[in-house]
Amino acid sequence: MRLIPAFFFFASLIFCSAETTTANSTPPPAAATEANIFDSVLRIEVATQVPDYRTPWAPGGFSGGRGTGFLIGPNQILTNAHVVANARRVLVTMRNSSRKLPAQVKYVAHDCDLALLALDDPSPLEGLLQLPIGEMPALDSEVRAIGYPVGGDRLSVTRGIVSRIDFQAYSHSRVDSHLIIQVDAAINPGNSGGPAIQDDKVIGVAFQGLRQADNTGYIIPTPVIRRFLKDVEDGRYDQYVDLGLSHFSLFNPAMRKALGLPDDDKGVLVTSVLPTGACDGIIEVNDVLLSIDGKSIDSAGNIEVDGELINLNEVVERKFAGDKIALEYLRGDERKEAEVTLVTVPATRIYGVRYGERPRYVFYAGLVLQPLNLNVMSAHRIDNLNVRKLYADYLDEGIFQERPDLVTITRIEMDELTSELNEFKKTVINTINGTPVRDLQHAYDLLYAEDAPEFTVIECEGVSRPLVIPSAKAKQANERLMQINNIQSTHYLGK
Amino acid sequence: MKFTTILIATSTLLHGHGVDQFSSSQLEEPTPEVTSVPVTSEDEAPPLIRINSTVQSFNAGQPWQRNSSKNRRGTGILISPTQVLTVAELVADQTFLEFEAPDSSDRVRATVSIIDYKSNLAILEPANTDDLGFLGELSPIELGEPAAIGDDAIVWQLEYNGTPLKTKGLIRGVDTVSTFLPGFSFLCYNIKGSMQSSSSSFSLPVTRGGKLLGLLTAYDSDDQLSTVIAPEIIATFLEDVGDGHYDGFPSLGVASEPTEDSSFRDYLKLGDEMGGVYLSRIKPGMGADKAGLQVGDVLTAIDGSPIDRRGYYEHPSYGILPWTVLIRGEKFAGDQVRLEYLRDGEVKEVTATLTVAEDPLVPRHIHDSAPPFLIKGGLVFQELSSAYLRAYGENWTTRAPLDLMHVLHNQKDYEEGRERVVFLSRIIPNPATVGYDSVNSQIITSANGQEIKDLKSLADALAKAPADGIHTIGLSDAPHTLYLDAQLANLVDQQLLQSGLPMLSRMSEDE
Repeated sequence: MRLIPAFFFFASLIFCSAETTTANSTPPPAAATEANIFDSVLRIEVATQVPDYRTPWAPGGFSGGRGTGFLIGPNQILTNAHVVANARRVLVTMRNSSRKLPAQVKYVAHDCDLALLALDDPSPLEGLLQLPIGEMPALDSEVRAIGYPVGGDRLSVTRGIVSRIDFQAYSHSRVDSHLIIQVDAAINPGNSGGPAIQDDKVIGVAFQGLRQADNTGYIIPTPVIRRFLKDVEDGRYDQYVDLGLSHFSLFNPAMRKALGLPDDDKGVLVTSVLPTGACDGIIEVNDVLLSIDGKSIDSAGNIEVDGELINLNEVVERKFAGDKIALEYLRGDERKEAEVTLVTVPATRIYGVRYGERPRYVFYAGLVLQPLNLNVMSAHRIDNLNVRKLYADYLDEGIFQERPDLVTITRIEMDELTSELNEFKKTVINTINGTPVRDLQHAYDLLYAEDAPEFTVIECEGVSRPLVIPSAKAKQANERLMQINNIQSTHYLGK
Repeated sequence: MKFTTILIATSTLLHGHGVDQFSSSQLEEPTPEVTSVPVTSEDEAPPLIRINSTVQSFNAGQPWQRNSSKNRRGTGILISPTQVLTVAELVADQTFLEFEAPDSSDRVRATVSIIDYKSNLAILEPANTDDLGFLGELSPIELGEPAAIGDDAIVWQLEYNGTPLKTKGLIRGVDTVSTFLPGFSFLCYNIKGSMQSSSSSFSLPVTRGGKLLGLLTAYDSDDQLSTVIAPEIIATFLEDVGDGHYDGFPSLGVASEPTEDSSFRDYLKLGDEMGGVYLSRIKPGMGADKAGLQVGDVLTAIDGSPIDRRGYYEHPSYGILPWTVLIRGEKFAGDQVRLEYLRDGEVKEVTATLTVAEDPLVPRHIHDSAPPFLIKGGLVFQELSSAYLRAYGENWTTRAPLDLMHVLHNQKDYEEGRERVVFLSRIIPNPATVGYDSVNSQIITSANGQEIKDLKSLADALAKAPADGIHTIGLSDAPHTLYLDAQLANLVDQQLLQSGLPMLSRMSEDE
């Protein structure tokens, strides 16, 4: 299954906007509410600068796209994170207007694909209806998707029914799953960020479609929107929290018997506990999780909420860092209870696509060092087995505690010192001059140390000889190569 | 450059390795006119024998069954009244073998007497030595002396009607090539000459002056170049066979890296004029280890032949060749070599005794031996081999399970307490394995409290039901332990047998 963000790129925009101003028929009075709703749906044009993880020192590619947003509060325009990801300029256009109003991204949540914009000058928004946020729609009920999708320049409305309510992948970050509403209304590129309306209330944000299925649109439902809005109340967006454990279904009768469990289809086996995560130090591998926040867990890891079975991770979906969760579990024969405090583990983001960040790197004598993450993996097409193994084990094996960054040699610029170093390309650095490398900053400090030894010796995972650079020659090599490749700085280590 | 074996389209193993090797082979000039070479006693056809081989390898994922059979036809040559020499590739995994007279007038059942997969050589014998059939009418050929670059040689094929077909070729260069198993390269001649590919033959004998010079293993029709196993390799093989016990080609037990990188050279204190290869791995218990060599030493000469920074040495008649030829060529297990090496800037010298390398933790190949497996309650356990991983097909390095690939590439990390790596290769769904469907390709660490060092130890550990009637199988990853109802498992296994599974286990033949 391939999910496509319903975002409309300029490259495919072939429509002319010249005719839009001629249409001025006044809506009939009966549809006044409709008109108000329509007026609050805004067109968003974005100019982007997409970081180039292949050439981390370069400014990246300039591009752009179009999406939809809608007013939900005073100067608060809700849209999708993917509409404004990597934005360097955001312009908002109101219905029946040609004025492009400059806007800023106030908050962006890439893990749930939502963003909040504000106009630099909010006065044009005065008098517009602030769309109220509703509840979850019922299965088989009718919804309308409103937005500015491809196929024309003016506002578009499509109608469909709620086909499915599910817990599914959000394609923007590639790693996150949340509640989702599937509708059979057409959701097309450009619809992204537009409201889905039922009974004059917003029941979701249209955000992605399915490429190989017709009439399958996906909407971010209001519980996810509400969580986002609550999260940013303190002035910044934190990421989702996680229980920080993996579990295994307890279907097997022999397994249940061996663990001393009755044949009642209850409980799941804990198979890993994320170091530094919420359950670290409290729950142990091989514990059997019985209930979460008082809700009994079945043998597949589901709990019952409002008559529906949902994954136990849903419990933490509405929670925030610092919130507490009650767990009941079995250790050996002993039934235990614990209260865990939810925390965010930033290391989990190594597996998600990163947006709007300048890539970190270190340049040293022709070697380009970057911290491993999904962007770096795909930009450099890293398929080295040892790198893949480290990447796969990074979280579960707790590698991130000792090594927040897996510092990787992603490129080697050919020069006198580097012409015979091909085998080190796309490998992870373990040590520099005998010191295990913690992160990119540490690698930089070691490589550019004042008292560097005569030879800088770098050991890489899976390479059977050390990489050696005569420290005294590194400076000259830097000057030469940085000039050729137009590299302004030896490093960017983040803010 | 594209290599094509003359008959066997499935021999992809020949590709790749040869390519790099050819580029470094030295080409001699001037090229004499091939047809003008005077023909002497070579007009007389050597004792050529057709070999028909039915090859049937085992299915990697379902080791209790074989893949569909393939028929291969090749050519061998009689080297003693009862011995036929051919390439190992032709007869590996054979299930039926026969000699056929060139004119197809007679057939004799044959068996493999000695096979060496690394050097790609095999000796076949009649199944019944009292009945030699047409072999009795042939006079064996002698092995000739090594030739020189620029010499001519004759490649022999058999026409469909039995007529020997000879092609004169010129020895253009000498190099090392892995002709069968990847990673084992041996001395080979590159012979230039246009051959008739329609005349189906494989493993073609090559002669010079009426004596056997080598065996052709691959022919590249674009460049008209053949790869021919050199006489030195055949001589060593035959001499090893001759003492009644075949040991195999020896090695030193090191992995090496070139020292071309000038910064690295300075770091190793290698002078400008010095060559040598960096020793990146020393295999415990083998010659180099016993002689005291360490990782980080630079091997600079073997038996007085200096090794250059790329790892080549100067052969007296063949020119520049990889240093491995000094070990894997004319030497035998038990032979001694003088090694010169550099440590901390000081040149040292030791004598090392060569040995034959033992199978690694993850064997490279399992030819002619059925892959061991064990089924318990529908769980299928196997011993990891690179043949299993290669069975993932094209792009196997990325398609095979990451954890198992990691074992293959980091074997010494898994050696402790293990002879072989036992893993769960699949689960045949059944009532005993409900809920286990997501578990796959995991390494088995223990069973019923016993450490698992090979498949045999797993079979022993699972042989009798534990007190509580539940087998406990330790895994390398989530859920860490599988539990199996012993009684139900036995019932399931009986049902599997009834449903056509031929057996529940097969243990390795030797050991």
